[in-house]
Amino acid sequence: MDQLFAALDASWRVLLVGVVLGAGLPTIYALGIRALAWGTGGEAEVHEAGVELKPHLLGRLIAYSLFAFVVLCVLLGIGYIVAHGLGMTITFDGIVPVFTSK
Amino acid sequence: MATSIATKALTPKAAVTLSAILNLVGAFLSVEVAITVTNAVIRIQNPDGTPKPELMADGGHGLLLILMAGLAGAIIWNILTWLWGLPSSSSHALFGGLVGATVAAMGWGGVKWVGEGAKLDGVIGKVVLPALLSPAIAIIVAMIGTKLVFWVTRGVAEKYQESGFRWGQIGTASLLSLSHGTNDAQKTMGVITLALIASGHWTATHEVPLWVKIACAVAIASGTYIGGWRIIRTMGKGLVEISSPQGMAAESSSAAVILTSSQLGFALSTTHVCTGSILGSGLGRKGAKVRWGVAGRMGLAWLTTLPLAGLVGAVMWFIGHIIGGWLGSTTIFLLMCAAALYMRWHSKKDPIGHHNVNDEWDAEQPDADKVPVSGGVH
Repeated sequence: MDQLFAALDASWRVLLVGVVLGAGLPTIYALGIRALAWGTGGEAEVHEAGVELKPHLLGRLIAYSLFAFVVLCVLLGIGYIVAHGLGMTITFDGIVPVFTSK
Repeated sequence: MATSIATKALTPKAAVTLSAILNLVGAFLSVEVAITVTNAVIRIQNPDGTPKPELMADGGHGLLLILMAGLAGAIIWNILTWLWGLPSSSSHALFGGLVGATVAAMGWGGVKWVGEGAKLDGVIGKVVLPALLSPAIAIIVAMIGTKLVFWVTRGVAEKYQESGFRWGQIGTASLLSLSHGTNDAQKTMGVITLALIASGHWTATHEVPLWVKIACAVAIASGTYIGGWRIIRTMGKGLVEISSPQGMAAESSSAAVILTSSQLGFALSTTHVCTGSILGSGLGRKGAKVRWGVAGRMGLAWLTTLPLAGLVGAVMWFIGHIIGGWLGSTTIFLLMCAAALYMRWHSKKDPIGHHNVNDEWDAEQPDADKVPVSGGVH
């Protein structure tokens, strides 16, 4: 039974982090797509016939900053794998990730 | 990578090439020592990684025979399921084969069935429980991700949505390949190094010889490059008709779950997680069709992988033991090669490759009993 509880204990942690990163990041990326579609105008959005959608600079700016954020997170993920392989660990005591030796 | 092929974010060739390179890189990144990999399920090593002295009595032959029979059992079971187009977990097959060979060699006591206390260990804690829980976690994460993604992008033209998510998909698929390389190459390196220690060619338990690292990295990369088209087809087309946003949600869910669990020491199979994520992405989209029949067949393959790979491993051990000596090991090796070649020959009858991997799944329904698909990776 201890084993089952240990597994369930690990599971909800994995689930929690998984939802935040695994579902959260695609959502942010999706927001980026949404903003980019608004920023691009034209045929990018669903619209009624005969209506010309205008491009918005702001939309594109928001989109690219959201994409940059997602890319940053992915790079951190890769950094994490590499660091893990080299026997290091990343800590997030502040906002800035710090590589420390295990 | 299967989903990037199915959504045409990448061409089949480009996808396997990219994935192979990233697996290669990933394998080299995994310098963390995995030499105690067998300790999770069987008792052939001391906690520090050195083999048990009683197995080393006759120049390590006893230990080598267990490893050899275990690996042969794992490989034979793996290729058989791939021939059926089912992504069986190679980690499970490896553990299953080793458990089977150990039971044959040392009796039931040679296997660590249940771990003690609150630390996950043994066959139950390291293999069975994670196998049951990890697909469930992946399904939930991917389902939430898919729902959110579609909710956020409603109002965006479908064509624009598809092309926009392709980039995201390539990114997440790459991350997934990298983590696959780091996770799965380690286990093989551990087993090879243990064999080298048994035969007296290596002594350090904290290091893996460089050539072993290179061999494993090249093996995992070339295996990926060959493609495992049957598996790719089942994963990309068989389970769910997948779109780019779903593909991205599924892959980021897999990557997040795999990376998080390895951090927490929650051993799992990449195969199970990826399948769970793909199913979740189907559940998260309104009106998406999930082929539960295909999923059920996969589930059956998962449940049987451990015992049946174990059975093959045990049979292999008995064959090797009865014939005895180096002749016995050679026989096991030849049997394994024969099985592999037979299945390769069999797969040629109904080849699946980069040319037809994306064909409509339902077009094959007339002979659905004969499960399609060829060869496989992980």
